[in-house]
Amino acid sequence: MLDAFAALFQWQNLILLVGGTALGIVVGAIPGLTASMLIALTLPLTFRMDPVGAVTLLIGQYVGGISGGQITAILLRMPGTPASIVTTFDGYPMAQSDRAERALALGITASVVGGIISWFFLAGMSPSLAKFALQFGPWEYFTLVLMALVMLAVLAQGSLAKGLLAAALGMAFALPGIDSSIGQARLTFGNSALLSGFGLLPVLIGAFAISQILRDASSPRTTKKVKVSRRKLPIYISDIKTHGPNMLRSSVIGTWIGLLPGIGANIAALVAYSTAKQLSKEPEKFGTGHEPGVVAGESANNSSIGGALIPLITMGIPGSVTEAILIGALVIHNLQPGPLLFQNSPEIAYGIIAAYLVANFIMLVMMWGAVRQIAKVIYIPKGMLLSVILVFCVVGSYAVNSNFSDVWVMIAFGAIGLVLEATKVPLGPFVIGFVLSPIAEEQLRASLMMSDGVWSDILDRPYALFFLFLALATVAWPMIMGRLAQKNKKSRS
Amino acid sequence: MLFINGLTKYSRGARKTLAAAVAVGIMGLAGPITVESAFAQSYPTEPIQVIIPFKPGGRTDTVARLIAEKIKEKGWLDQPMVVTNAPGGAGANAVNQMRRGDSEGYTIVHWHHQALIAMAMELGDFGLEDFKSIGYTGGGSPVWAVRADSEFNTIQELIDHLKANPRSLVEAVGIGSIPHFVGGMFANAAGFETRYVTANSGADRLRLLLGGNADVALFSASEFLAQGDTMKALVYFGRERLPNMPDVPTATELGFDVSWANPNWWLAPADTPDEVVAVLAAALEKAINDPDITAHFVANTLEPYWMSGPDAMEDATKTLAELKKVAATIN
Repeated sequence: MLDAFAALFQWQNLILLVGGTALGIVVGAIPGLTASMLIALTLPLTFRMDPVGAVTLLIGQYVGGISGGQITAILLRMPGTPASIVTTFDGYPMAQSDRAERALALGITASVVGGIISWFFLAGMSPSLAKFALQFGPWEYFTLVLMALVMLAVLAQGSLAKGLLAAALGMAFALPGIDSSIGQARLTFGNSALLSGFGLLPVLIGAFAISQILRDASSPRTTKKVKVSRRKLPIYISDIKTHGPNMLRSSVIGTWIGLLPGIGANIAALVAYSTAKQLSKEPEKFGTGHEPGVVAGESANNSSIGGALIPLITMGIPGSVTEAILIGALVIHNLQPGPLLFQNSPEIAYGIIAAYLVANFIMLVMMWGAVRQIAKVIYIPKGMLLSVILVFCVVGSYAVNSNFSDVWVMIAFGAIGLVLEATKVPLGPFVIGFVLSPIAEEQLRASLMMSDGVWSDILDRPYALFFLFLALATVAWPMIMGRLAQKNKKSRS
Repeated sequence: MLFINGLTKYSRGARKTLAAAVAVGIMGLAGPITVESAFAQSYPTEPIQVIIPFKPGGRTDTVARLIAEKIKEKGWLDQPMVVTNAPGGAGANAVNQMRRGDSEGYTIVHWHHQALIAMAMELGDFGLEDFKSIGYTGGGSPVWAVRADSEFNTIQELIDHLKANPRSLVEAVGIGSIPHFVGGMFANAAGFETRYVTANSGADRLRLLLGGNADVALFSASEFLAQGDTMKALVYFGRERLPNMPDVPTATELGFDVSWANPNWWLAPADTPDEVVAVLAAALEKAINDPDITAHFVANTLEPYWMSGPDAMEDATKTLAELKKVAATIN
């Protein structure tokens, strides 16, 4: 391990790591461009590097990319990457009430703490954690996602009917595409562009960034200018007490969800957010610019990277597109990730672990130093800023699959987002329905396929039962509390 | 008309010399046939886009990038090959992009036999008639594997168990993907039936098998070898045993007429001129015989070989007929 750190501090590798992280932050902050795009673009450049250098560069981009997303999420309510959707919920209201720097400072701190906590899991107990995560089969995935859905639904704000409507709409838009349980096209109306469904990125950029651009453009004066002060960054010792437990919990949740291949940083952030809200004494404040909301989302999405690296380096199982590309970079150098990686090329396995930690610190220093400059983005005239972002949104949507129909999808969802907001239907449940329901559906159908249609097989799966119990408790708890409150009232009167 | 085509081609290529244009002009006077050959000799005058129907990082992507890099390094084509990814829609996205491009050899596709499966399942709106085959640059075959602690040590034990207890074992497959079809062909040949659990990628199959949520799954030989002693391979679907795992029998030597050699297949639009395809084929054949590329193939348990365009198309046509039979039993 120490050798790996020493190798990292050779100047070539350090430059790669610093450069990679910086690029990652910039690309991550631009709505429409994501870390996985950057990494895919960089891949050909790594062919001629030595494998340690290649991995170092890519890890830096990965960490930077996920962390940079919060900047635009907080300042403009446009998640720079899908992983920072949650950060828009409370970060943007904070920025609107003159607390932009505080939101950024908390977000950055939470990101770094999340990264460090998941690093300890990655460095300390990778093999046993990977083994534990592997036990999770379709039943566990299904009940876990169901639990997240229920938690978020119960805690949704405003009108319950509108929340449910939004979630149902999101789920409906997740339906078209190839039905993975039968391998046949579903609801594509013979259109081959719909064969892979509505893409996550075009839908998210549309619903958040495009609709926001349209709104800002149509009413340039309604959004308040965010003030950026000249004081020191507003982060205090007392934050350890107020936010420490939340950071720790959200980081553990993030690491753990990151461990499960196929469930990524955005879901980690959603689950950590809903848990923070569930356990909070003042859940009604979430969504209105409440600090723990930013902290939960940002610690979870960063820590999920460390979690996702665990199955990658111990088993060769990539958790996301980004990691599949990372594996590609290794294969080009004739290194096949798997349990043998630690034996055959320990310098790579430990190199990844070391680079992950150092990248987190580099990210901290860079973001910390630049935060005030970054916050000034707000002062750029709206017309210029929005048109530049619009260009990036179009480029980004096109670039995911080099497919122009994705751009139309993005524009259409921009209009849908605008209509939803105008009718006070919340965007949060819409996106959550869209992101979570396909996983729930696929995993439930896989479970039933595996059990030959026998539902009672779930009784043999303790973890699945546990999640199911938590989901039921989430629904039942407010009702029981309500009944109790009523009884108390009656007995008193 | 051809003459004008030739000229526009030249004006598109940024800095081709006037002399070349004049040469075409002179040959243009001589007759249209010579224009074509002059055109073929000067092809390519601009970068060649290679579309991969998958996300970056997989085998098809990696092989394309390595070969493109080698061709550029050695100067076997006058212009670089630029690899782009167009995943999604069971390949329809990539095919549509190929259709939008030109058919003069500047837009080609690098795919494998998942293309045939999409055709057999009638998923995209494309068929073999849309393509002209440039050739195979090698390929690889998969293994069927179980966990190391599995009670089955040979494929015969597993078949006997499944015959005695039908549908008692779970197989991790992506419905309508290669593992599904190869497993289906093998099950048909050996006369057994498994239950399925959905696994959309190699990573999913690995996760489900190692975690005990599936009993058997198909892996590429390199995925299997990277796992060390956590898995046992029961049968290999190549035509001959693989040197990296000499103890694993092939299905054919056990008496089952099932094999699956998934090639790295280079495709051009159907109306691409034969001269252009010949230029591309020559460069690809040189690349696959290059020692560096061969070494990468062997290290990753792929077989380096060259199969010409027409031969590859004939092989693919035969395979597609087989796949259609399996597809009919699925639906």
